[in-house]
Amino acid sequence: MFARAWAKAVSGTSYLPMTQSQLEEMLQRLTERLAQALRAEPFDLRIGQQVGAELVQAHIASAEGLGRTVEVIQLRLVRDLDLVVDDVEDRMARLLATVATGYARALRDRTLDEQESIRRAAMMARAQAERALRDSEARFRHQATHDPLTGLPNRTLFTERLAAAINRGADRVGVCFLDLDRFKVVNDSLGHQVGDSLLVAVAQRLHEALGEHLVARLGGDEFVILIERTTGTDDAVQVAEAALAAVREPALVDGHELTVSASIGIVERPVAGTSPMELMRAADSTLHWAKAAGGARWSLFDADRNRRDLARYALSAAIPAALDRGEFYLDYQPLTSLRDGRVLGMEALVRWRHPELGVLRPGSFIPLAEETGLIVPLGSWVLAEACREAGTWSAVDGDAPFVSVNLAVRQLHRADLVPEVRGVLGRTGLPPRRLQLEITESTMMSTVVEPVRALRVLGDLGVRVAIDDFGTGYCNLAYLRDLPVDELKVAGEFVTGLRAPDSGTDERILASLVSLAHALDLTVTAEGVETADQADRLRAIGCDAGQGWHFGRPGPAAPHLGRVPVHVEAVS
Amino acid sequence: MQRPDWAPETIDIERPSVARMYDYYLGGSHNFAADRAAARAMVEAVPEAPLMAQANRAFLRRAVQYLAQAGVRQFLDIGSGIPTVGNVHEIAQRIDGQSRVVYVDVDPVAVAHSQEILAGNEHATVLQEDLRRPEAILTHPEVTRLLDFSRPVAVMIVAVLHFIPDSDRPEEILRTLRGALAPGSHLVLSQASEEGRDGTGERAEAERVYRRTDSQLWIRSRAELTALFDGFELVDPGVVWVPQWRPDSPDQAENAERAVFMGGVGRLGG
Repeated sequence: MFARAWAKAVSGTSYLPMTQSQLEEMLQRLTERLAQALRAEPFDLRIGQQVGAELVQAHIASAEGLGRTVEVIQLRLVRDLDLVVDDVEDRMARLLATVATGYARALRDRTLDEQESIRRAAMMARAQAERALRDSEARFRHQATHDPLTGLPNRTLFTERLAAAINRGADRVGVCFLDLDRFKVVNDSLGHQVGDSLLVAVAQRLHEALGEHLVARLGGDEFVILIERTTGTDDAVQVAEAALAAVREPALVDGHELTVSASIGIVERPVAGTSPMELMRAADSTLHWAKAAGGARWSLFDADRNRRDLARYALSAAIPAALDRGEFYLDYQPLTSLRDGRVLGMEALVRWRHPELGVLRPGSFIPLAEETGLIVPLGSWVLAEACREAGTWSAVDGDAPFVSVNLAVRQLHRADLVPEVRGVLGRTGLPPRRLQLEITESTMMSTVVEPVRALRVLGDLGVRVAIDDFGTGYCNLAYLRDLPVDELKVAGEFVTGLRAPDSGTDERILASLVSLAHALDLTVTAEGVETADQADRLRAIGCDAGQGWHFGRPGPAAPHLGRVPVHVEAVS
Repeated sequence: MQRPDWAPETIDIERPSVARMYDYYLGGSHNFAADRAAARAMVEAVPEAPLMAQANRAFLRRAVQYLAQAGVRQFLDIGSGIPTVGNVHEIAQRIDGQSRVVYVDVDPVAVAHSQEILAGNEHATVLQEDLRRPEAILTHPEVTRLLDFSRPVAVMIVAVLHFIPDSDRPEEILRTLRGALAPGSHLVLSQASEEGRDGTGERAEAERVYRRTDSQLWIRSRAELTALFDGFELVDPGVVWVPQWRPDSPDQAENAERAVFMGGVGRLGG
């Protein structure tokens, strides 16, 4: 009866995790303790306090819960339980005081505990959030500084570490640029997935082999190694050799056993006066030396060579502007008939009147122009200019000489070669038979179907085709039969041999070469003829023409044109 | 360095948290001054607020007891809040000590507190995730470690949906969760409703209070709440004011609309 009233009074004062009957049961137990406390002799403070604390433990834990409890006990406990107690008012006051004391103490403890635990939770949450932030920043930093494919540091991190090494002022530093040889072949033949797996395998090996040194992937199949605190070039060379050995081991990639090699460019120098950019650039160009030398090796940076390279590059880059400014001009060297001394033709030789370097000969800019492709506009200019000048020539007697123009392999491969030659001939009015195109033996041999067809079209037009530097390559004469060729220019090396007292072998080789050429209906011009004796011997062999200092040095066309033919009778 | 977009939020105890306000309504002291100030403003606007929280908590208790007696031994409590009096694992594990409970809450402080409470309980765990990312919850390693979705699971979303506006597509969230459940699984939903209580101005005032907190109020009608049980068979008595849902005694269901919360339990058949 009392317990039910009590339950009703406290329900709703706070959340009670129990059913109404469970609550009543619990309060019934406490009611008996209260009755016992009222009757106990002497009065026991502890019972009331325990009841108060137990109410809080049972989650009847609010100011309202205490107020209602005090009210219901005061009003109903004695009456409902029909208790007979002496000094009931006095004892009831003391009982309520102890219940309130126990209750308030327990509620305060509970409040403090809960405050402590929520503050601890907030601190934990903050610590977790900060850790998560740090982790995500670390992850972000890692992503920003590492290559996702191989997990190696990327260019950003490498540059940072290199800059740090330089700024630290540590004595010397080394950088190895590594590039796989013919990696494109792997990608093209086995697919990018295999290529990627190979890169991962190479990355792992480099990392394992060079653990203490930073290995980064710059992109593609390019890796770079930082060697800090070197004591000299040898330290960097050792690292490069270890890297080459690591790459060389056959790798099993997606079921393919792949053997790859690498090329490495090494730069090792004092940090003073250098910069990360400069080091990287130097290592990169040194790598190209290793590549150019055939790969599977390292090259060491060489300042002189680098300077020459740079100068060559600068020179090559200046070609287009020099063309615009008209800095190129042509010299001519006669091709003279050994039979009657007439000037049959003249080879056009390009010169560059460089505003700072003076007159440059083709050897200093043509090879690089061929590499960079600038040979195409330059070659076009030479062709047009040579045809233009040749159009003005006339001979002392007989036909005016033809002009012989060198054609680079890149020009030969261009689809518009035939229309270009046709156009030039049309514009200059030069008869086709007065134009000879010189193609080196190696160009001819590496030439595929299309350029041969172009040469044939030009040959049908009447343009002469000569093979330059014949005898230095591997051209076979039988092959010559099928090519649209009119003339062989025999390399100067053979002619040089004619000067020696005992020149029987060279002379016999030349003789059979000339007779074979004649059998194929080709004329033969000997290059590098320097003496009258050589000219005599060549004539005796049956060689058709000669070119060299003996007949005239390269120079303006006019003097050559005025040259009086030598009298054949006098020397025969 | 620029702060990456996946960086977690920092903990700001100056901003009222709905989880700690709820704790305050329940008579708890797991709250900070800002929470208490907001909760008192709420009580001023809606004097029944503490009663609402208590009634809702009692509904949770009765629902878990019902489910445990129906044989459910796995519970996924999403939006569990501050563990205070009468948590799901206490109720469920009293009936079967092997019952498994995973708590999920978006509030990092609530999660940290739950971690402390659950330390050493190998059948219960807590993780921080957002109800609006149900796939992330379902695939969370703690969830897959503790719960076996080939057997019945009770998904509890109690006193949370009124913080999920329609623009967050609650029906899709529930469809995703339902898709992961085996036959015999249950869904427990409750949320604030003003079914038949409009025009008192309390709603506007309550919404104003909650604008200060980390979550906004989105009140739904009984029909809207019922629609969210799509795919489940509602257990008797359906969607009702929470005190009316299988009360311990009939008198507890009196003046049930004062509880403001409506709720129900659905069972996945098949």
